[in-house]
Amino acid sequence: MDEMTELRTAKLALEGVSSGYGNVEIIKDLTLDIRPGEVFALMGKNGMGKTTLLKTIMGLLPLRQGRILLDADPAGKLGPKDMVRARVAYAPQDQPLFQDLTIRDNLRLALPSDKALAEGLEHVYGHFPFLKERLGQRAGTLSGGEQKMLIIARALMTRPSLLLIDEISEGLQPTVIDRIASALKDERESRGTTILIIEQNLSFVLGIADRWAVLKLGVIDDAGQVGPDTQAQIIEHLSI
Amino acid sequence: MTLLLDIATSAAILFIVATGLLTIFGVLKIINFAHGAWLTVGAYCAVAVGQAGLNPWLALPVAFIAGSVLGLLTERFIVRPLYSRPLDAILATWGLGIVIGQLITLGFGRDVQFTANLIPGTMDILGTSYSAYRIFALVAAVVLGLGFSLLMEGTRLGLSARAVIMNETLARGLGLDTAKIRTVTFMIGTGLAGLAGVLLTPLTSVDPTMGVAWLVGSFMLVMVAGQSFGALALACLLLGGAQVIVSTYISPILGGVTVAVLAAVILRISPKGFARA
Repeated sequence: MDEMTELRTAKLALEGVSSGYGNVEIIKDLTLDIRPGEVFALMGKNGMGKTTLLKTIMGLLPLRQGRILLDADPAGKLGPKDMVRARVAYAPQDQPLFQDLTIRDNLRLALPSDKALAEGLEHVYGHFPFLKERLGQRAGTLSGGEQKMLIIARALMTRPSLLLIDEISEGLQPTVIDRIASALKDERESRGTTILIIEQNLSFVLGIADRWAVLKLGVIDDAGQVGPDTQAQIIEHLSI
Repeated sequence: MTLLLDIATSAAILFIVATGLLTIFGVLKIINFAHGAWLTVGAYCAVAVGQAGLNPWLALPVAFIAGSVLGLLTERFIVRPLYSRPLDAILATWGLGIVIGQLITLGFGRDVQFTANLIPGTMDILGTSYSAYRIFALVAAVVLGLGFSLLMEGTRLGLSARAVIMNETLARGLGLDTAKIRTVTFMIGTGLAGLAGVLLTPLTSVDPTMGVAWLVGSFMLVMVAGQSFGALALACLLLGGAQVIVSTYISPILGGVTVAVLAAVILRISPKGFARA
């Protein structure tokens, strides 16, 4: 497949994308395509632009140069509201929950109205049954692992076609990581959800990803298919 | 008994006046210094309704709608470009308040105006004869507080507004139309200020600068309350109560500055005031 065909058939295609904050350009002329139903792992040391890239895709940061295509349609000028309408969901790393709101209200906020609430809740109970019994509990009173599961559950409420996840496994015990990995695998297999995931935990992310890339100073430094040697290859990139 | 009723009704009136300001401050994080002007607009709606020979109660919806529509225009053309510059927003709304005051003077003159009392006379409360209108103001404040609680806790708009108050970036990331939420909130805030202006008219004379004194008191109460309506109610009760006691037993002049002085002391001791957030 040539490059143009890949861009046309990709779920998400980034072509010469640049973005940043103020005068500082963080993402520099980045090109990347993610295929439908694929789990794509994006890795890199801190401060390399991973979160900035997700925010740019989501429309939380303005695109300075280049094109973003979602299902081959231009999406570079869409705001977060339009991206959510296009069934893109974002699980952020920083302050990802409304701590003083209940679990139910956190989940409600993922939907544009309450019409599909019951259906959405049933969907996420399938992955995280503990939520059902604790809908009235304030999100801030959940344990760290439960909060992370709630973040993923909220992102799944809309049954997105593209899921952007930012460092979900940080500080989690292995059982919680397994539960999240299982939910993501199931979403991909049962619904064909495409996932772009930023992650530092290699064993977790390489267990679910099809392809990977390492971001260095706002550009793709290396990329490939996930295989037996991938972990060692990435560790080389991430070592200080 | 009269003193207790004075404290309760004064607190209620302060709550009615400050609610619109807190609504805007809570969601938009700016102090709308045109609040006093919207209050005055509401009061002059009552004057206009009276001059037109209409039912004085009609002034309530008229003032709310007038305040909301003017709020929509203000948010769109003056406040929206200044969200990231809250100090400039204070100056801009202060200037707007002056302009509105002058426009009212042009339209109605500088003379003090009076309006019909919505509920004249007195009523008997546990053997004490007391102003029926002040009791009505107390009921109106409770209804306003409960209505607001219902709006914030029981509706989708309220949930969205609370989400924006807590974490606007996250709210945007979930696809919430934060610009629309800000606009609607600003309209509700200015509409409430207009409503408060009408509710004040039976208690005070109406003139183009009447809002300034109320603005100062409301501002201090909102600073003490933070972003919480419960804390605002508490601040109104404590500071309003102190104002009544000082006015009754020491001097009405000192009573007039009690709210501002106590608010300054509270904020000196506890910079977050009564709010825990």
